[in-house]
Amino acid sequence: MAVAMVKERWPGRVMELVIGREPHAVKAGGESTLPFLHFEGEIPNRPLAALEVWDVEPEGWPETLAEAYPGVTRDPVAWAKMCEDCGADLICLRLAGAHPEGKNAGPAQAAETARAVAAAVNRPLIVIGCGVEEKDEEILPAVAGAIAGQNALLGCATMNNYKKITEACLSYGHGIIASTPLDINLAKQLNILINETGIPLDRIAFDPIVGPLGYGFEYAYSIIERARLSALSGDRMLATPVICFVGQEAWKTREARSEDGGGWGDQARRAILWEALTAAGLALAGGSIFVLSHPASLNAFKKHLAAMMKPFTC
Amino acid sequence: CGGGQGGLGSLSPLYRKVFLSLKEPAPGDGEDDLARLSRAIRKEAGVGELRPGLDVLRGLPKTLRDAGWKVTVSLAEGIGCGCAEIAEIEPGRVGRKYFGLAVDIGTTTVVAHLVDLESGRTESMKGAYNRQSVYGEDVISRIIYAGEHKDGLEGLQKAVLDTVNGLIREMTEELNIKRVDIKAAVCAGNTAMTHLFLGIDPTYIRLEPYTPAANKIPAVRAGSIGLDIHPQAWVNCVPGVAGFVGGDIVAGVLASEMAFSEKMTLFIDVGTNGEMVLGGGEWLVACACSAGPAFEGGGIRHGLRAVSGAIEHVEVAPGSLAVKYSTVDGVPPLGICGSGLIEVVAQLYKAGVIDRGGNFVFPGRTPRIRDAGEGREFVLVWPEEPALPGGIAVSEAEIKNLLRSKAAVYAGIRSMLKKVGLPAGAIERVIIAGGFGGYINIREAVNIGLLPDIPLDRYTYIGNASVKGAAMALLSRQARQALEEIAGRVTYLDLSADNTFMDEFVAALFIPHTDLSLFPTVT
Amino acid sequence: MGLTGLEIFKQLPKTNCRDCGQTTCLAFAMAVATGKAVPDRCPHLSEAARDFLGSASAPPVMPVKIGAGSKQVEIGNESVLFRHDKRFENPTAIAVTVCDTLSNGEIAARVERINGLVFERVGQVYKVDLVAVVNSSGNPGRFAEAAKIAAERAEFALILVSEDPAAIEAALDCTADGRPLVCGANAANYQAMTGLAGRFGVPLAVRGANLEELASLAEKVAALGLRQIVLDSGARETAKVLADQTQIRRQALKKFRPLGYPTITFVDHEDSLQAVLQAGVYVAKYAGVVVLDTVEPADLLALITLRLNLYTDPQKPPAVESKVYEILNPGKDSPVYITTNFSLTYYSVAADVEASRVPGYILPVDTDGTSVLTAWSAGKFTPEKIAEALNSSGIAEKVSHRRVIIPGALGVLSGRLQEVSGWEVLVGPRESSGIPSFIKQQWKT
Ligand code: B12
Ligand code: SF4
Repeated sequence: MAVAMVKERWPGRVMELVIGREPHAVKAGGESTLPFLHFEGEIPNRPLAALEVWDVEPEGWPETLAEAYPGVTRDPVAWAKMCEDCGADLICLRLAGAHPEGKNAGPAQAAETARAVAAAVNRPLIVIGCGVEEKDEEILPAVAGAIAGQNALLGCATMNNYKKITEACLSYGHGIIASTPLDINLAKQLNILINETGIPLDRIAFDPIVGPLGYGFEYAYSIIERARLSALSGDRMLATPVICFVGQEAWKTREARSEDGGGWGDQARRAILWEALTAAGLALAGGSIFVLSHPASLNAFKKHLAAMMKPFTC
Repeated sequence: CGGGQGGLGSLSPLYRKVFLSLKEPAPGDGEDDLARLSRAIRKEAGVGELRPGLDVLRGLPKTLRDAGWKVTVSLAEGIGCGCAEIAEIEPGRVGRKYFGLAVDIGTTTVVAHLVDLESGRTESMKGAYNRQSVYGEDVISRIIYAGEHKDGLEGLQKAVLDTVNGLIREMTEELNIKRVDIKAAVCAGNTAMTHLFLGIDPTYIRLEPYTPAANKIPAVRAGSIGLDIHPQAWVNCVPGVAGFVGGDIVAGVLASEMAFSEKMTLFIDVGTNGEMVLGGGEWLVACACSAGPAFEGGGIRHGLRAVSGAIEHVEVAPGSLAVKYSTVDGVPPLGICGSGLIEVVAQLYKAGVIDRGGNFVFPGRTPRIRDAGEGREFVLVWPEEPALPGGIAVSEAEIKNLLRSKAAVYAGIRSMLKKVGLPAGAIERVIIAGGFGGYINIREAVNIGLLPDIPLDRYTYIGNASVKGAAMALLSRQARQALEEIAGRVTYLDLSADNTFMDEFVAALFIPHTDLSLFPTVT
Repeated sequence: MGLTGLEIFKQLPKTNCRDCGQTTCLAFAMAVATGKAVPDRCPHLSEAARDFLGSASAPPVMPVKIGAGSKQVEIGNESVLFRHDKRFENPTAIAVTVCDTLSNGEIAARVERINGLVFERVGQVYKVDLVAVVNSSGNPGRFAEAAKIAAERAEFALILVSEDPAAIEAALDCTADGRPLVCGANAANYQAMTGLAGRFGVPLAVRGANLEELASLAEKVAALGLRQIVLDSGARETAKVLADQTQIRRQALKKFRPLGYPTITFVDHEDSLQAVLQAGVYVAKYAGVVVLDTVEPADLLALITLRLNLYTDPQKPPAVESKVYEILNPGKDSPVYITTNFSLTYYSVAADVEASRVPGYILPVDTDGTSVLTAWSAGKFTPEKIAEALNSSGIAEKVSHRRVIIPGALGVLSGRLQEVSGWEVLVGPRESSGIPSFIKQQWKT
């Protein structure tokens, strides 16, 4: 029986965001169809998987996670190199040390760390601040200057601090991460605001602040799916690739941390799965860049992506 | 009712006097006095079933005979009752004038019209602040007060009655007439106000699932609630639709004539609750988007209603940020009204002081923008200008509050359209009712995304439509039937029932909107 | 179903008689449009309207029931492609395999392990749904025996996986009461299989080599009188299965009848982590049943949680969980802020507490995801509810003081809250943006 295939003809596509410099540059987005539906459109780039590196030794990491980086967690340069060896597509440097309640590193110190990491690895860089809006708008411009021309992805800009961060990204040639809490309209608003400062849409990735499995995953899933549909329908303001900070969220959950959840099975396996399945799920919704914490999750996720990208005849 | 002829224009008042000249009973015709009277009334006045009060019946035989069978009969009808009451029989032809009272009972203001029921002319109009305000600014506080204080309900009822009675006194004094000559009343109020006016417990209007005691309330005698008109007069309340879409809106829809129009009409009452109705002759949907009092100047430090001295027009020069403004009546500024606020937001955005999200982003330093403790504010009127000691300023928080209000209105409109499955372009005309609307700059309201971006000539302003509708009901039987019909036909949308509204709300929290394609004429 | 409220309204009598339980015909039409009511609830529909609305509102994906009694699960009955459009109706049934090559004892033990795959989450119990008995032995008698053991011991209904009609018949002889899903029919055996499914009154899975073959097989099986059909496109590679699943759902929504049935998918990855990710794709993208070969609690906990998330009602307002949130590593002396669990409200407050640079605890009270004043108005944010949240959240153990900050808009509550909670109440600023300056001035420890 002949079945007339239903193929959508989408008028729009996801923006293609280039991070890093040739020959090591990577590309995110660019799709003209829903995730992994090879039969109806182009999927020029596989979703990207980054590993996170901190500028200070992380506190309170579960052992399963800390053990994955033996001897390097006090040295961001060595840590970044190890992540590169583990197969990360990008290195995501988190400037947690700038946190005012922690080491309170200043702009100069943050800039120096970023410069050192950038010099040590080939992989393109994502650099994110400490998450305190006021502090980030102080340090990120310095970081942007220190790694000028590297075409990194800097963030996270919010409704309250986007102005200074966009200026720095514009001046020093970096892409920017726009971060809004779990709401598609807010995400679009920030994209518009940033775009109106002069940054082209293909230099923005948006971060919907994803929830991991069991903790708001469904909101993120639907926001990302709706954003993809909007992008494909021609809404350029929602066509920026989505970045998902999965690792930090997944490793906060009870499911990832608790040794014995009463019949929950092996903790290490559970934690890796929590991270990898959250990422795989959000990739299916339309996420483009994934920042993970554990090399094993990265591996599992990349292997999965390879399968999803495998062309087949239809 | 049988035989209600005549359009809305033809006079068939709620209360009227008819002069009748009856044929004396003759031997053999066997008809009793009441039947004789009723037949004559029906013929003369075209009413259906008649009901005499016992008092009238008791005096009937003697009155008829003493008057030589020439009498003046008073007929009282009601909203939603198919019969007329024979309220009074007087001998001979009575020339004395009689009046009807139409009242819009608003949460903040009460407006009354006194109508000559014979000529149909409105003889006096008065307004006053609702004296319930001492119990709380908004409906919710009053509902809570009524429920939680001993004698709370009585106190609130008394306060609103005092307000209305005060207006009655003013009007009767002005016209030099007696209060007992007011023979009928129609009240239109939001559901909670109607409850409080009649002393009915409003508690459950506030609590999920927001159920009123009654949307359709039978008429009551003025004397039974203490309304200062003829004690036997019937007080009719315009039927409502739901806890947050009341008789005031139904009366407004009547006055707007949208309910019988082919045109797809949007009716918006930009009061605190932000009620709106969409539809036409075939169907009507309504919702309350709970916009908040910002458009009436509420919740804003220098907010004012559109009274003398309220800033109503504002221009902010890009670059220098010089401010030009004008006030109601051209007197020195005392504050800023809703329409002025709309212009401020539009102008501040255009001048680059705020971004689309309402955040202050002006790059330079200027004394116009100053720190106000809890965030920044923009100075409209300097202290030295002939005004208040501290000048007049609008803060970032206030702008965000206004954006929430405008977002709620726009989201309400979008939700209604979405629920019935119509595009925004389907709206053929917009009727704006409510206190602030007379001064509103529609262009700027569209620019900030309060109102839909459709050709400006599709907008009309109708003022206090609620009291107009109530007055229509005083005068026309068809209007009364229409009120019933409208209240029964309006489909109420509960905006809290799902996510549609919230999604639209956040999308609208932007100047003009997150979806810029909805505002093609706005840059 | 694709009809708008107004399109449905046009078919109704427009008398607003309320016999359907709605206040107006339009209200009823909108309820039908969103699937909250069925057209039949209006007793006054004309014949023509009934036909029109009936066919328009029939579920595009046939509902299919597997199992009997308390073990029954329903799959199918879906009507959308994306969960944000309307809730996904029936969660993907998760099936775990048991091979008939295992010894009887091993089969029993494995079934027990499957029975134990039960998890609790926020007071709710979640488990797998089905046991798939696989005929790897090629021996009908052996298969029947394995199926019998599984049927006796499993707390779930069965899938009988064999393409040999003899094996299926033997197994059905002893398990048909439990209405297992027979899996199944293919181009070669469909007549015999359909006969068996019909005779025993059980649902049947149909496998095609591709979508075309699948559609024609499904049509033939339906023509033989069987309606309880489950589709298997034959694909096993994840991306191909995704494509097929998407096609089948799209075809069903277009009312292409031969593909208007729920689907079954098989996870076959030899790498056990990959297998879970693969299963995740199928759960998210339209599988009615996913069959997998693991009894690892960790694997199933992850998968079941994914399913739970994806099948929640998207129309619930975005709310955060009502629990204590720690901002900037607070300690014993840190301030405690009360707010609502409406996400817009919570995130405003959280951002401003963070901006204050003073570490603190935020306790969002469950107000059904409504804003501060809306919640207060509707009686969802009362002193009693706040006190209850203070008591049950464990915040009292985290701080050594008893002072709590409430939103400025709720100033009126402070007296009563103090009374019922025993905490000292500080009324904060009306807008959370005032928190940084407020806290610096007002919070002294
Ligand atoms: C959107 C909205 C709704 C939505 C629901 C939104 C939701 N999910 O909560 C809908 C339409 C469903 C709704 C319903 C109702 N609403 Co309403 N609604 C609004 C509106 C427009 C915006 C509310 C909002 O989202 N604010 C944004 C959030 C972030 O604000 P927030 O929660 O207050 O948080 C801020 C502050 O409180 C503070 N804060 C919060 N937590 C904390 C904690 C601390 C420690 C501190 C210091 C500060 C702080 O900071 C936050 C950011 O600034 C307001 C009017 C307005 N312009 O604000 C009315 C409003 C809140 N609603 C109101 C009412 C009465 C209702 C109804 C009960 C009745 C009605 N008239 O409609 C109904 C319920 C019945 C119904 N189903 O219709 C009233 C409340 C009256 C009052 N007493 O003040 C308001 C003020 C409007 C009015 N009529 O005056 N509403
Ligand atoms: S029962 Fe039918 S006719 Fe009556 S209100 Fe409902 S939909 Fe309309």
